[in-house]
Amino acid sequence: MRSKYKLNCHCNSKSDKRYLNKRFCCILNFFFLLPSILFSQDNCTNTISGKVLDKNTNKPILDVIVRTITDPQVYGVRVSYNYSDKFSISDKEGLFLLEDLCPDEDSLLFSRIGYQDTVISLEADFWTVSLTEKFVELDNVIISDERENNLGTQTLSQQSIDLKDQTVDVTSSLASIASQIDGVTFTSTGSNVERPVIHGLYGNRVLVLNNYIKHGFQNWGDDHAPEINISSVDRISILKGSAGVRFGPEALGGAIIVEPDQIKLSQPYFFNVNTGYQSNGRGTNYSIKTGKGFKNLGFNLGLNYIKIGDRHSPSYSLTNSGKEEKGLNLGLHYHLKDFDIKLFYSFVDLNLGLLRSSIFHSGDAISRAINSDVPLIIDPFSFKIREPNQKVKHHFIKAKVDWYYNENNKISLIAGRQLNKRKEFDVRRNSGLPIIDLDLVSTDLMLEWDHSISDNSDGLMGLHFFNQDNDNLPGTQTTPLIPNYNTNRYSLFLVENLKLGKKSFEFGTRIDYEDYNVRGRETSQKIFRDEHSFSNLIFSLGFNNQISENISFRLNLGSAWRTPNMAELFSFGSHGFRNSFGLLRYYFNDDKIRTDRVTNFVDSEVSPEKSFKLINEFDISDEKNELKFTLFTNYILNYVFERPIGLFGTIRGPMPYYIHDQIDMLFIGSDITLKRKFSKNFKSAFTFNYLWSNNLDNSGKLINQPPIRISSNFKWQTNNFWRIDFSEIAILPSYTFRQFNAPITYTPESLINGYIALNYNSKIFDLKEAPDGYFLLDFSWKVDVNDFSFSLMINNVLNKRYRNYLNNMRIFADEMGRNFIVNLSYKFNSKN
Amino acid sequence: MKNIKVNYFVIFLFTILLFTSCEEDGAAPDEENEMEVITDVKLIFTNQYDSTDIVTARAQDPDGAGVQELKVLNGIVLKPNKQWILTFEIMNNLESPGEDIGKEILEEGASHQIFFDYPPEAFCEFGYLDEDVNGNPIGLKTAWQNCGDQVIEKDFTISLKHQPGVKTSTSTVSDGDTDFQLTFVLTIQ
Repeated sequence: MRSKYKLNCHCNSKSDKRYLNKRFCCILNFFFLLPSILFSQDNCTNTISGKVLDKNTNKPILDVIVRTITDPQVYGVRVSYNYSDKFSISDKEGLFLLEDLCPDEDSLLFSRIGYQDTVISLEADFWTVSLTEKFVELDNVIISDERENNLGTQTLSQQSIDLKDQTVDVTSSLASIASQIDGVTFTSTGSNVERPVIHGLYGNRVLVLNNYIKHGFQNWGDDHAPEINISSVDRISILKGSAGVRFGPEALGGAIIVEPDQIKLSQPYFFNVNTGYQSNGRGTNYSIKTGKGFKNLGFNLGLNYIKIGDRHSPSYSLTNSGKEEKGLNLGLHYHLKDFDIKLFYSFVDLNLGLLRSSIFHSGDAISRAINSDVPLIIDPFSFKIREPNQKVKHHFIKAKVDWYYNENNKISLIAGRQLNKRKEFDVRRNSGLPIIDLDLVSTDLMLEWDHSISDNSDGLMGLHFFNQDNDNLPGTQTTPLIPNYNTNRYSLFLVENLKLGKKSFEFGTRIDYEDYNVRGRETSQKIFRDEHSFSNLIFSLGFNNQISENISFRLNLGSAWRTPNMAELFSFGSHGFRNSFGLLRYYFNDDKIRTDRVTNFVDSEVSPEKSFKLINEFDISDEKNELKFTLFTNYILNYVFERPIGLFGTIRGPMPYYIHDQIDMLFIGSDITLKRKFSKNFKSAFTFNYLWSNNLDNSGKLINQPPIRISSNFKWQTNNFWRIDFSEIAILPSYTFRQFNAPITYTPESLINGYIALNYNSKIFDLKEAPDGYFLLDFSWKVDVNDFSFSLMINNVLNKRYRNYLNNMRIFADEMGRNFIVNLSYKFNSKN
Repeated sequence: MKNIKVNYFVIFLFTILLFTSCEEDGAAPDEENEMEVITDVKLIFTNQYDSTDIVTARAQDPDGAGVQELKVLNGIVLKPNKQWILTFEIMNNLESPGEDIGKEILEEGASHQIFFDYPPEAFCEFGYLDEDVNGNPIGLKTAWQNCGDQVIEKDFTISLKHQPGVKTSTSTVSDGDTDFQLTFVLTIQ
């Protein structure tokens, strides 16, 4: 006698798949046949069979590995288990069968590439426990290589970081958290402005998506980082290939997708409080999260606050490196029979200090700064943030409607609106006035159709409208750095994925049409205007082969593009110890350079950047080990960079002049990640990155290319003692090499004294040698006791004095010294 | 039921359209008084005992940050054995009328100082005649005396330093950031 047990789900969201509750919310909705008398106790003759379906499409899933496991232990929010050796693989109909099971093999683990691992227990007792606690969270990987069924990007190398699983410093930036992934690092202007680098590309060659909408911010220059408050983020995913077809221009290096906390339905009221303190900067942070899910409606609300004062290196205070952040986020989820409506709002208010000793406009001042072992201005510790600093307020609202109009298909309508208000203050006369005062309004409107033409294929077609309106606010008493502009972009894309047995093929194409209307002022206050438009067709071809249970191979060739940003087009004037001119602010007349007028785009030779990236990834894994090896090549046409053209006399003294120029570039590199699980309690991981870049015109090496880095971690899950439910100690050593491939160095004195003659044939140069390589050690200890969670992180345990090549401040100051970060959080779940 | 569903969807579409309607403005940024740029510096030596005896010298970078280079337009030619008061005219002439940057410097005297590097035989007496709110000199008005020695085409370098938070009674030309640094050819004959 067999009974059929059907589990109903009340959440349609793809991202709710990891949660079990009384009504079993999950991505794998399955029917399975239970023997009516549960399990016979004397021998291994039990049989379980069932069917595995995808919750969103209700279609059977092939190749799901169904294993029996024993002894699942629930610790707060974690489950651990032992594998047994019995398994079955689901067929085309999603059917699986496990025979000869022993009584203690009473739980099943379902796993498949593209879906989150899910554990189901068949024992009645487990279900009782589940009922009382209302739900069990299952997170069984720290850095998960599983990813959502993200059409258009399945063949790209994608890795995710689940912030709940990690001991994460919530006061750190998106870029520094993302840099745990091999191939990803960050370039910074001090500790408060960190921009993600994927395979050597950063700035607006990396697309930052906040809740799948492009983060609308001033993405130009070398000191503007995306304004994301980490405490509202649930997961960060990094796509290391050309994600342009699916997400739009600017994804030349890849894309970073930031996902907020999910809004779950049918969930009891929860309340989380988190507070932390860090010794370096005497920083404090607080956050509160709350929410509840009813049958058809769910909401969550989060608030956070961070205040950090001046940091310090091992030897001295880094004057004016503090920061203050306030954040709020709100989410709403309304579920009807075939509809899912989600609303999301977030607000972040930042005040970021930049190192006081990093502002120099003249040759003699910057020479003194570079030659000095310590920053020229060191004041005692203070929480006060003065010039130079950045104040940004960012509002973000998103609405999404998913319409499941039939079993296999879905139409989504997404609308997003952002307001980014940025004021930057510099050390200048009238320092109380901002030197940059910009309002940027971004609007996204997307219509996406998730469809499948046949049983073996899946596709996504989308229409996307994007608009930005940038305005300079008056009263800065300086000519605006970038002009006012409006831009509209209309796009159409299509991705199709075809599965043939263990292989899948992905094809995508996208067409974008972008127009710009620009109004600016020259330094004489004369107005200039321009209008230009671009259109571009890009493609993506991918191949994914699950060669065996343990080996898979992924390949993607894709193109991407971006228009040069406003600073690259229209810069005019001084930025530190240099004068730089945008692509449209100079021209040549009889071989002599002139900067006395603005060229219209149509009359110029400026072209959008276009890139082709080929990325291969091998994944080899077995029970104890996992090896991931990524190899990539990225060829970029019309790469925009700054080229020195000479030393010119200015009222401040001689100064190097640069023009923005375009060149073809080639990047080749590889990332390796090796993970080993030595025992149930001890595991380690090791990553290695290598990048080589070359411009195809002999203009010298690029600045700010990540050096070779080897990083590792060793994690011990200690045995439980006292009332501790879970305790994990991690040691994280890393070694960063000196950048051997750095550009040539010319000191400011050698330039000013004329020892070096700068001219148009000069190669790209740096003002200071790349710093030596360094070994760093970090430590963390995380403990869970009932509803409390405590963590201690120590960054730079050895208090090493070092400089990071990718930090623009490295010519002035050392990096931060040792930092003790303690965090305490409390999670309350109501029982009704 | 299906109608209601369709209605929700339609209503939502309309709200999206409202949500996105915005007038696109074609406005250029407002005109600003550009205070960051100095294009002209004029030195004015006024004979202390004869205010009609004035010697000037000018330096100019006509396009500010542009590629035209700084030009020192005149040398300084003074008669010996005289006492002078040196004042400045510091302007941003990219706009017209030009902006008086000298006025800004005086207002923020506590973070500025002008330093002079002159051949010692040229002037036997030198003194600052102005001071900021802290009692430290600024240098927009200085007194000079030549005691008879002749000087033929020697360098006379004037530097305006911006020293916010750094200026003290012992600040030197090495402290802070340079706002202008001009070398004139001095002749006292």
